[in-house]
Amino acid sequence: MPDDRKVTLRVGFADQLRDIEVQLPAGEPKPWDARSELQVIGKPHPRVEAPLKVSGAAKYTHDIVPTNALWAAVLRSPHPCAVVEAIDVEPARAQPGVSAALALVKPGERVIFAGQDVAAVAAKTPEQAEAALRAIAVTYKPEPFVVDTAAAMQDGAPQVHRGKVQERSTEGDEPGAGGSAGQRGNVRTTPSMKKGDAHKGLRMAKVSHEATYTTQVHTHSALETHSIVVQWDGPKQATVWCSTQGIFSVRDEFAEVFELKPADVRVHTDFLGGGFGAKFGASAPGSRMGFIAGELARKAGAPVRLLLDRKEEHLCTGNRPDSRQRVKLGAGADGKLTAIHVQAHGTAGIGTGAGVGRNAFGIYSRCPNILVESHDVFTHGGPATAMRAPGHPQGAFALELALDELAAKLKLDPLDLRLQHDEHPVRRHQFELGRKQFGWDAGRKQAAALRTRQTRVRRGFGVAASIWGDFGRGKAVVATVSVARDGSVEVKNGLQDIGGGITTVVAQVVAEVLQRPVEAVRVRLGDSELGPSVGSGGSVTTASVTPAVRAAAEAVKTQLTALAAKQLGRKPEELTWSEGQVRAGTKAIAWAELCKKIEGEAVVATGTRPDTYGAYPVKFMGGSSYQIAGVQFAEVRVDTWTGVVAVERVLAIHDCGKVMNPLTARSQVQGGVILGTSYALTEQRIMDRVRGVMLNPNLESYKIAGVRDVPREIDVVFTPVDTGANNTGAIGIGEPSTIPTAAAIACAVHDALGVAVRDLPLTPDRVLAALGAVPTRGAS
Amino acid sequence: MSDRAGITRRGLFRGIGTAGLIAGCKPGERPPTTTEEHGDAAGPGHGEAAFGPGPAPVSFTLNGEARTLEVAPHVTLLAALREQLRFTGTKVVCDRGACGACTVLIDGVARNSCMTLAHDVAGATVATVEGLASGGKLSVLQQAFIRHDALQCGFCTSGMLMSCQGLLERSRGQQLAREDVEAAIAGNLCRCGTYPNVVAAVLDAAKGSA
Repeated sequence: MPDDRKVTLRVGFADQLRDIEVQLPAGEPKPWDARSELQVIGKPHPRVEAPLKVSGAAKYTHDIVPTNALWAAVLRSPHPCAVVEAIDVEPARAQPGVSAALALVKPGERVIFAGQDVAAVAAKTPEQAEAALRAIAVTYKPEPFVVDTAAAMQDGAPQVHRGKVQERSTEGDEPGAGGSAGQRGNVRTTPSMKKGDAHKGLRMAKVSHEATYTTQVHTHSALETHSIVVQWDGPKQATVWCSTQGIFSVRDEFAEVFELKPADVRVHTDFLGGGFGAKFGASAPGSRMGFIAGELARKAGAPVRLLLDRKEEHLCTGNRPDSRQRVKLGAGADGKLTAIHVQAHGTAGIGTGAGVGRNAFGIYSRCPNILVESHDVFTHGGPATAMRAPGHPQGAFALELALDELAAKLKLDPLDLRLQHDEHPVRRHQFELGRKQFGWDAGRKQAAALRTRQTRVRRGFGVAASIWGDFGRGKAVVATVSVARDGSVEVKNGLQDIGGGITTVVAQVVAEVLQRPVEAVRVRLGDSELGPSVGSGGSVTTASVTPAVRAAAEAVKTQLTALAAKQLGRKPEELTWSEGQVRAGTKAIAWAELCKKIEGEAVVATGTRPDTYGAYPVKFMGGSSYQIAGVQFAEVRVDTWTGVVAVERVLAIHDCGKVMNPLTARSQVQGGVILGTSYALTEQRIMDRVRGVMLNPNLESYKIAGVRDVPREIDVVFTPVDTGANNTGAIGIGEPSTIPTAAAIACAVHDALGVAVRDLPLTPDRVLAALGAVPTRGAS
Repeated sequence: MSDRAGITRRGLFRGIGTAGLIAGCKPGERPPTTTEEHGDAAGPGHGEAAFGPGPAPVSFTLNGEARTLEVAPHVTLLAALREQLRFTGTKVVCDRGACGACTVLIDGVARNSCMTLAHDVAGATVATVEGLASGGKLSVLQQAFIRHDALQCGFCTSGMLMSCQGLLERSRGQQLAREDVEAAIAGNLCRCGTYPNVVAAVLDAAKGSA
């Protein structure tokens, strides 16, 4: 192995490119940079697994039925808070078809949200399992509860927790977020983000703006519900199929719960029907699914399938917390910000993680005084968990809309105000690009004209920014690449493809290195026995996995080059690779011939990824990794008679380092925009304050956007950036693409109406209330 | 059953409820409100054999092949397809007609299989996603979905495809507009955000197959 070495990389973006020196660890291939000429990477390629998905052949956890498998069902607390006085699961055992029953609470224990695990059964059919649940006798003593965030903050509100709260974080959470700085009543303070003196900055301001912004609880609503299938292969060995974003998080939790060696738990996730942050570990955030399925299977002596239904999915598998954000902005007469102060409260139910992200602190960083204070407010609701860019969409909404309201007072163009305060060169470039491409200046003028004329239908233009970090993980992935004597190429890793397209990208990386057609690369993922990997959360997958895959493919290539050199009687460094053959001057050996010369069955190599070694041009706050840039522009149409908001166009300009596959990357950004639109306009968990239960745990009254609710046009533009962060140059895109959408839409509505609607979702009644057409309803 | 395709799970439940009510009445005490429910109520006295609560045979054509199943009257077509026949391409998402993930074609019409009882398709032709390809070759629509990247996680894809297939079969040879596709998939929810690509794929396929 050669020693560490220095290489010169061409990094940057657009016309801002420069050479930097990077220290590479031993054995690390030279990173692809702005000078690299790549044949497959960066070219659109259809998903290699798509034929299975369009023909119904792809097997999801819902579709796995081991021989003699039983159905599990879980009895859930109907009470938001109650002490269990007595529980008897014996009557369930006597019901037809039932093989096992399990109490999940003991007498004297308290349940603290409606939907919490109480008992479980396994039976031959789902109907028998449901019927058996009804035979379980539970006596509850209901206790006072609170499900409303504002009410929970008041003195004397029922206490949700009676001790210090354990924070639960997953691979879906943003690194460095969270932590506790004290707890009083139901309010737990998380460490604040602070620079300068925001209070002083506000006092110095010539123009200021202060208002409260609220956002709703948003559920992940992945189409495949949380599901796990457990089969014991021996007293200390199990096979688990799980709809998960993190195969190894399932393995490790299952092993811990049942005191097994992780290597004796095999986890499969060939395909999963979405996750959005809620699917890590063997359990759901609010249900001990791994234990339930494993214990029922053990007791019954048969495999058990535990597939949640849609109602359970809403109640106990996580959600995005709500927020109530008091935003104070100060500026000088010249429009320079003197202070940003955000005080945020939100409920993650019985859980933690209601912070509002880094938007207010990290984006408009030329403001000298910033203070962001976040608080978790405990309520008797199902626990929140990381959801696609945890905290950020709610933080972006409040900050960006407040900036627009301040800009109006300053008589400044909101885009100019942003450009004055954002230091990130890529984001500044994106703002300028969008101004031209979106027709910003003309559009804003047109919107102003319609406002002046008081037309029934208005148009509005808004813009917002996103901030995320390159959290690509080093030393976490071991990928294996092999080339067999018959010329076939295979790559293996215990990763799951959540739908972002990583299977195809992995094939592309191997195809690029070995100069084989993408279709000729067999990709095997979705099995814990295929080598360590990362969870698909925090936008880390592509940045963590592709460098390890490339390292493995390069190692195989080195071995094949040596073999070719021997065959051609040349030195390895004299050889060049081109499609289908390895050449030295006039002598060449074809791929098939070369592979036949392999001694033994195959050439095999593993690859890993070192820690991130470069970060150009801007570091993510508080870390050494690259800060991912993105901006989105939105145009809305608002009917001032009905209050209905329609999103006409969104222009999403994003950076994800070196784009691996523009086809799938574009889809992912489009998906982020659509999720953000749905959050902005229709989705909302509604709690019954009197009974303490969710009123819309379904998909007809919990409204996720359909085809007619999404923007009429979504344009996706990538800003290619070479960061020198890792050997493929890939960084993440999943989270950044959904951060600014709701904020940009809300800003556009403000532009259309001349007044802000400060509460999400932007429902017709709120639009009409903002216009003074109907009385204001309190934000829930 | 003359109007089989018009019977829904809800409709049949209503019918069963009526039949139960009738059974609980003495002869001659039939409530007058039941007359309009005759079409839905497969109860005795209407020239049809009673069945249930245990399994009873039902025959239909699935993807071109004749099938006979022993299935209890309360079992949905969705459950019969997935759990009994192991045709798992059709997905369960909401199980109450709100999301379209379980869409199949019944006599050429896109329907939610979660809102259809297995016995409702007696004698009918049922098509699922597994039947779209023929002779190992993907259909024009399936290929267009792949080309336009009209799928991400893939969980809504089967239902989307069947709604779109229904549209293509009805409109064969005619020009399709974006609004036609939007109407066809208005009942199909996707959480990954593939809608624009689905619309593009169907318009492309319509051109190709017209």
